[in-house]
Amino acid sequence: MKYGEMEQKLRREARALLKEGRVDIIIGFENGSLKFTTTPLITSDEADIDRLVINPFINNNLSVFLTETKGRVGIVVKGCDSRSLVSLLQDNKVTRDDVVILGIPCPGIIDLDKVEQLAGKERDEIIDISWAEASVVVAVEGERKEFPIQEVLYDNCLGCELPTPKEYDILLGEPASSIGVDNQADSLTKIKQLKDKPPEQRWSYWRNEFNRCLRCYACRNICPACFCKRCFVEESEPQWLLPVPKWQDNLIFQVTRNIHVVGRCTDCGECERACPVNIPLRSLSREMYQIADELFHYKAGMDKDIPPLMATYEITDSEDLVK
Amino acid sequence: MSVNMNKEASTWEPRLLGFLCQWCSYAAADLAGTSRQKYPANIRIIRVPCSGRVDPLFIIRVLCLGFDGVLVSGCHPGDCHYQTGNYYTRRRMSITKKFLEYLGVEPQRVTLSWVSASEAGKLTELLSEMNKEIKKIGPNRLFADEIRRNGTETSP
Amino acid sequence: MKKHKIKKRDLAKLLSEWSNEFTILTPSRAEGATKWTKWDGVDTTFLDWYRNTTVPPKALFLPAMEEMFSFHRDKEGYHIEAPLLDTPKQLVFGIRPCDARSLALLDMTFRDAYEDPYYLAKREGAVLVGLACTRPYDSCFCTSLGSSPDDSSHVDLLLTDIGDEFLMEAITDKGNKLLTSTSFTETAGKAAETRAKESKETAYRKVTRKINVEGVKDRLLSCFDNKDYWEKVALKCISCGICTFLCPTCYCFDINDEFIKNHGERFRNWDSCAFPLYTKMPVENPRPEKWQRLRQKVCHKYEFYPMNFDVIGCTGCGRCIRLCPVNWDITLALTNLPAKAECEQEK
Repeated sequence: MKYGEMEQKLRREARALLKEGRVDIIIGFENGSLKFTTTPLITSDEADIDRLVINPFINNNLSVFLTETKGRVGIVVKGCDSRSLVSLLQDNKVTRDDVVILGIPCPGIIDLDKVEQLAGKERDEIIDISWAEASVVVAVEGERKEFPIQEVLYDNCLGCELPTPKEYDILLGEPASSIGVDNQADSLTKIKQLKDKPPEQRWSYWRNEFNRCLRCYACRNICPACFCKRCFVEESEPQWLLPVPKWQDNLIFQVTRNIHVVGRCTDCGECERACPVNIPLRSLSREMYQIADELFHYKAGMDKDIPPLMATYEITDSEDLVK
Repeated sequence: MSVNMNKEASTWEPRLLGFLCQWCSYAAADLAGTSRQKYPANIRIIRVPCSGRVDPLFIIRVLCLGFDGVLVSGCHPGDCHYQTGNYYTRRRMSITKKFLEYLGVEPQRVTLSWVSASEAGKLTELLSEMNKEIKKIGPNRLFADEIRRNGTETSP
Repeated sequence: MKKHKIKKRDLAKLLSEWSNEFTILTPSRAEGATKWTKWDGVDTTFLDWYRNTTVPPKALFLPAMEEMFSFHRDKEGYHIEAPLLDTPKQLVFGIRPCDARSLALLDMTFRDAYEDPYYLAKREGAVLVGLACTRPYDSCFCTSLGSSPDDSSHVDLLLTDIGDEFLMEAITDKGNKLLTSTSFTETAGKAAETRAKESKETAYRKVTRKINVEGVKDRLLSCFDNKDYWEKVALKCISCGICTFLCPTCYCFDINDEFIKNHGERFRNWDSCAFPLYTKMPVENPRPEKWQRLRQKVCHKYEFYPMNFDVIGCTGCGRCIRLCPVNWDITLALTNLPAKAECEQEK
């Protein structure tokens, strides 16, 4: 992957956008304060542009910042992020003319948890992680370990349906081929395992997982599809949920949230990554994504000119589930 | 959920909650009443202006409160008093039903139906059927706290 | 004060012995996230992976959710059941110096003008057996805050890893008692102490993240009105509760009643100043903007605590940096604080 070239191009373009006044603010990635980590860079200062990076660790979905950013924005998006952006365009939360989309053809993002498991070392004890042809090389003290890419990418990358943004103003590199073509099934492993269990066991599984939910709302806040100014959990008349993190209320929160964002969720995987207590949230959001596809042949964020899934209907929608 | 039915079979009646749309289904319930049709008395009915008013949040909340079944009933497609409300209901409820089933909620607990204002018979039949189905699968223990916070078990 | 040592392979036996008097709590990852749970009586493999837990030990004394009391209503009115405040005798095994220090900071809050019975009921009966760090994270910065990976100031007993053994130093009387009647430890000699000293020094050097907190209170005070700085710094924050919930010194809580039919319960649960609705009142919200909330969070620990209590309210555990979904870093925010002169200009 030609990260270096993409980075140079990004910096050139971003600088020009700011200089020429075509945007007021640039949203991209810069190196984080921890090894193999990146962090959002949101700036209107040309001097900051040289900090912009493109590498296999740019995991955030930056579209989440669009609904609260005023002015014209130059935003860096990978395939899945661009779909979230398109979804926001469909919902009229963002005006197309107000964004300059800098698209990154994305071959996949490295999941540090998986690397840690495979390499047997924690992130800050790993010396280097680099992308070879079809593998990722991890340098730890004394040795180099090589792993096939499919084993170190995030699960949702394995099911990627759009590695290269379709909607963009500037494409920063050659279109990438999707690892998802051959690895879809792997992105659905956990979901398949759940579906193989009988219903009572499935419910017990979720009851157990949500026992440790703290209601930090990181999943909701990091999600570009959750843009309500007042979330249903913040309603007090009537109060649907107490802030108390009982498993029942935690479950209600997450299930309702997923239903509320159906058709906007692009399986970017940020909710699961953000969760500090490792609740497998993608097993909910990806299944919801599959349901939307199965019932209505709708995949979020693929076409900015069609109405959002739940804001429309077909006269011929299935009556299968109606008595 | 597998439940010991022996002591409860004879005395337990399901508790149902229905969201009935004002113009069609609620009117059908009224008609059932005025024409002295018999239907199970264990349903509590909430009148909504349109079945499209029903947020899936209500469905889940109702199950959490302990109701054994939820019914959402509206006008037939094409006949919605607000033209298109029930089309949205259909999409929303289809997704909700499938998702809840994936989570492990028995599909019989959530029902979507179209009942027009003159179909009192359909409504009463539907409610009897719902009762029968839910009696078979037992009470809703989905959200029950089997283990109290101090570690002792509550009785089922 | 006693100084003993124990072979790592005998640790389970020692914990079993202690479990006759105490409920033993150890780090565990059995429940999906690393936290403190009741020891299962057998497993000590946590020694292999344990650096620090995601959920801090504050959760043992100020749980994420706690029932305060229950009540019911009948025709005579409301009746409140007395809260069940038992004082468990808990032994927290393996607590890190930063977390032990955080408990000392929490004690300041809950033992102030009002003594919090729920917190203190659990805290009084707790014995802290510390474990000096050998593998600090790159997000740790305790050494900049007057502490260290082997700081024994707030534990009752400190264990230091010396290869296949632990050196055990009693720090308080409670800790001394722990070493009094055990069958699996032996008195430590000079050799063990020397190895421990080396271990401590190595760990100290491994803490690479540093901040300069000299005069930080005044620097923050002078920058308080520097909206430009705080706005820029806050842009990427998503206002979730991770940094505050998982911070070992954060203590804000909310109280809610759940009342269904005629029975109810009053709960206490964690709250976060990062949430937009945290300060919302019917009339107004004093901190409606994200940058104001972020500024408050930083100042609470590095300005208001020093102002009021002469101590920085942060222990440098680094959880906020490690777990933030956007890698927001308090050490960077403090290091990049504009100089006093610049802030004066802003005014």
